Amino acid sequence: MSATLEQIKQAVIDGKHKEIEGLVQTAVDQKIDLNRIINDALIEAMDDIGKKFGCGEVFVPEMLVSALTMKKALAIIKPLLKAEDSKAKATVLMGTVKGDLHDIGKNLVCIMLEGAGFEVVDLGVDLNAEKLVEKVMEIKPDIVGLSALLTTTMPEMQKVISAMREKGLRSKVKVMVGGAPLDAKFAEKIGADGYGKDAGEAVQLARRLVAGD
Amino acid sequence: MSALYQGKKGIRPPAVSVTSVVCHDLMDAAGVSFPHAHVNAGAMAELALAGHSVIGFDTVMPEYSVHQEAAALGCEVDWGSRDQMPDSRNFPYADFSDVVVPENILEKPSLRVVLDAISILRRHVGGKVAIVGKVMGPWTLAYHMAGTQNLLLQVGLEEKDKITRMLRQLMSIPIAFAQAQFQAGADIVVLADHATGSLIGAHHYREYLLPIHREITAEIEGPLILHVCGNCMDRLELFADAGFDGYHFEWQVDSKVAVKKVGHRICLIGNVKNAQTLFQGKPEDVRKQVRYAIEAGVNMIAPECAIPLATPIENLKALVAAVHEGY
Repeated sequence: MSATLEQIKQAVIDGKHKEIEGLVQTAVDQKIDLNRIINDALIEAMDDIGKKFGCGEVFVPEMLVSALTMKKALAIIKPLLKAEDSKAKATVLMGTVKGDLHDIGKNLVCIMLEGAGFEVVDLGVDLNAEKLVEKVMEIKPDIVGLSALLTTTMPEMQKVISAMREKGLRSKVKVMVGGAPLDAKFAEKIGADGYGKDAGEAVQLARRLVAGD
Repeated sequence: MSALYQGKKGIRPPAVSVTSVVCHDLMDAAGVSFPHAHVNAGAMAELALAGHSVIGFDTVMPEYSVHQEAAALGCEVDWGSRDQMPDSRNFPYADFSDVVVPENILEKPSLRVVLDAISILRRHVGGKVAIVGKVMGPWTLAYHMAGTQNLLLQVGLEEKDKITRMLRQLMSIPIAFAQAQFQAGADIVVLADHATGSLIGAHHYREYLLPIHREITAEIEGPLILHVCGNCMDRLELFADAGFDGYHFEWQVDSKVAVKKVGHRICLIGNVKNAQTLFQGKPEDVRKQVRYAIEAGVNMIAPECAIPLATPIENLKALVAAVHEGY
């Protein structure tokens, strides 16, 4: 990897949000393939930070600053991409279920998915099953990602999946779930396709779901 | 109370309600429901008493939401419903401007109601059942004032002055509220400050909160239990250093490890799993966890955090029954 790409990757990992724009501009001036900047520097960096978060090396504050840094980099690159190069891997519809206003976990997953090349539609918080199903029919995503922080709102996830089944949507869309009180067993019980314990795992899971694993 | 100071042990540890043990079944048994019990002192006290008289907890705890102070500081609080806990709808100090603490903050309805509920409880069970009060620490209040993600981003951006200024402006509130709760009749006060494992690291706690917690514990005369969620294995010693008498912890912190690390320095309270055990498990699952905690040397047995509202009351009774089996 070129020195500039290495520097960009490290800057995202270290959250050097003041330096990133200059570094990305240098890479653009050096005519480095834009997709390489995204894939080899930005996505690699976010994967790295996701792993560090997973093993307790970094925490949410550091992840948020890395995400901010990555967003600044993408803001320079995206307008320069040709239409065919900017085609997203897949579309993920994200939301926190009804009764739950917690959004940090969901926001981190959104940022990481965007960084990993997914098109993310963030529907926000406190979403009831009807609203979510309506949006699935409208947007036709590849994956629906549901988040809940409260144990009180976990059962809402089941309602969303049941509502999708009733409308005949379940076989067309993968469902992934996450949030502090959940685990893989719960995900399986409610009929989701997978569970991610943190934002890094959610990205890996989304990649697997899209690849059909 | 003796358990808090690791004094005379008796034949069993106490089963305590530190956060909230309110579930639908308890609301039905008490004839009092959310959201009424968040805003009415009589209803609040009634529901707290039911935790003792119906389930058998050795304490009564009348504050169920984490938004009482937020409401007094200008947040628009939606008090929720029977099925939903309260939540704030806005962040009045998202720009980190100076927090205006009302001079008469203890007289604001959302704080007054807690003080009045504690007074009612003192009249009913004072001296017989331990009355537990609760205040939010400055970190949790800063989440409510500025927004959680916003505060954590500022931590990441190392805006130390900005954050410390807000924490210092807020720290007088838990001190005043805790002292008022003791005066009203609380035997113990819980200080909930969500410096939660995985949200922030031990180094953040040491940098931002430890000095402030030390000042708070020095100011408040009365037994204080710290409540912090998440996996806090890496900061247990810091909590003991902060001067709290007890620490209320989650299942993610293994009881045996916690006792080994800080059991000689701080009373440990916890840590029956909410989602998988109390909410989704069976009474025998609850018993197993209670017995594990007792055998590990946990001083008081409690759910790890505010329980899900749909928790079956049988599981809470199973917690108490397992405690009654003794050491």
